[in-house]
Amino acid sequence: MKMTKIYEGSHQWIMFGRDEGKPSNIIDTNQYVVRTANRCLLLDPGGAELFAPMMAAVLHHAPVDQITDLFASHQDPDVISSLGLWDQALTNAKLHAPAFWEGFLRHYSCESIEYVGIPDNGGTIKLESVELQLIPAHYLHSSANFHVYDPQAKILMTGDVGAAIEGPDTPVFVENFSAHVEKMRHWHQRIMPSNQAKRVWIERVRNLDIDILAPQHGRMFKGDDVKRFLDWFDALQVGTAV
Amino acid sequence: MTNQTKSQFIAVASITSELSAVMVVAKEISLAAANAKAIAFRAGDKAKGFQPITDFINELAKETIELVTNINIYALVLYRLTVNEFQKTVAYNKFELAAKLAGDAVYAKSMQEPVEHAKLSMQDCQRQFKRDVSQLLGQLEAVMHHARAARVIAANSRIEASQAGEYLQSLQAVAESVDKAAHTIHDNVQRCRIALSIYRNS
Repeated sequence: MKMTKIYEGSHQWIMFGRDEGKPSNIIDTNQYVVRTANRCLLLDPGGAELFAPMMAAVLHHAPVDQITDLFASHQDPDVISSLGLWDQALTNAKLHAPAFWEGFLRHYSCESIEYVGIPDNGGTIKLESVELQLIPAHYLHSSANFHVYDPQAKILMTGDVGAAIEGPDTPVFVENFSAHVEKMRHWHQRIMPSNQAKRVWIERVRNLDIDILAPQHGRMFKGDDVKRFLDWFDALQVGTAV
Repeated sequence: MTNQTKSQFIAVASITSELSAVMVVAKEISLAAANAKAIAFRAGDKAKGFQPITDFINELAKETIELVTNINIYALVLYRLTVNEFQKTVAYNKFELAAKLAGDAVYAKSMQEPVEHAKLSMQDCQRQFKRDVSQLLGQLEAVMHHARAARVIAANSRIEASQAGEYLQSLQAVAESVDKAAHTIHDNVQRCRIALSIYRNS
C-alpha cells in the first residue's frame, strides 16, 4: 500500500491508498491517518478486504495499542466494513460515526470499540492537543454524512466529494485540473442526490481555510485546485439519474 | 469461506429444517391420540385395552414436542456459535496476514498480541462447538428413543385394534398413523445426527 505524508507539524497526516494487492473488482480507496505523539486516528479505514494491508501499513507509523480512534464519514462498505476486524484487534478504541447509522454499522460488529455517535449538527474529535472539526455533509452522498476538518493542518477530508475512479497507478494529487474534471463529472452527478445539499455544503466549506481537500477515492486537491474544485462543483447539476 | 465452514453452516441450518418437520409430525400424533381416545370411548368394552394406549400416545407426542422445542433453541445457539467461530477464524487469518505484510515495519511486533489473542479465541470457539454438538447429539438420541417407543405402541395398538369388532378399521388407522409418524421422526432425526456427527468432540 502506498503511503504519502501530506502534513507534518505538531502532528502528522498520512494518506494510504493505491494498494497493489487489492482485488481488481473492488473500488480503490484512500485512507487517512492522523498521528499525534501517543494516539492515532484512522479516517474511513476501508473495507474488510483492505484490513490486512491497511493494518500492516499503519504499523509503520503506530503500534496497535496507539490506534485509539476510527472515523467513518458514512455507512458504506468501502468506508467501514472492516469494523468487525478492527473491533477484534483494538482493545481501547472509539468509533466516531454518524449517530444516525449506529444501528446499521453495528451489523459489522462493534462490541469492544465504543461507538461515539456524531449528532446531525457535527462535533469534534480531540486527539491529544489536536482538535478536529466534524463538518456536516448530509446527502453528499449519504443521508447522514460528515467530513473532517483540521484547522492546524488546513486539510479537509471530504469522503466521496471530490472523488474520481481511476487506476492503481494514479498520482495522489491532481496535476491538471481541467483534464481531471471529466474523471469526476459522472461520479458526482450520479452519486450526489441533492443540489440544495451541495449548495449548503459549499457555503459552509468556503469559510474554511483549506490547503488540501482529501477525498476517499482518487486524487487530492491542493492550493488553488481546492477553489477550482468548489467552483466546478457549485456549477454542476447533480442527482441526474431520475 | 472454506468448504468445511460451509458444511458446518449447512449442517447447523439443516437441524432447524429437519426438526420443524418433526414438530409437525409430533402434533399429528397428538391429534391421532385425541381421535383414538374418542373412538375407544365409543367402542366401550370392545376397545378396553386400547384406552390406556391412547394416553401413552398423547404423552409421547407432548414429550417429543417439548424435546424438539428445546433442541431448536439449542440449535439457534449452535448457529450463533458457528457465526462467531467463522468471524474469529477470519480475524485470525487477516491478523496473521497483516503481521506478515508488516514485515520490518517499526511497530510490526505490536501485532503479535492481537494475533495470539485471535488464535486463542478461534480455538475456544472450535472447542465449544464440538462440546455443544456432542450435547445436541445426546438430545437428538432422546427424540430417537421416543420414536422407537412410538413404534412399539403402534404395534400394540394394532393388536388391541383387532379385538375391537366394528371399530377395528378406525383403530387400525390410528395405529398406522402413529407408526408412519414414528418412521418420519426417526428418519429426520437420523439425518440431523449424521450431519452433525462429523463435528462431534472426539
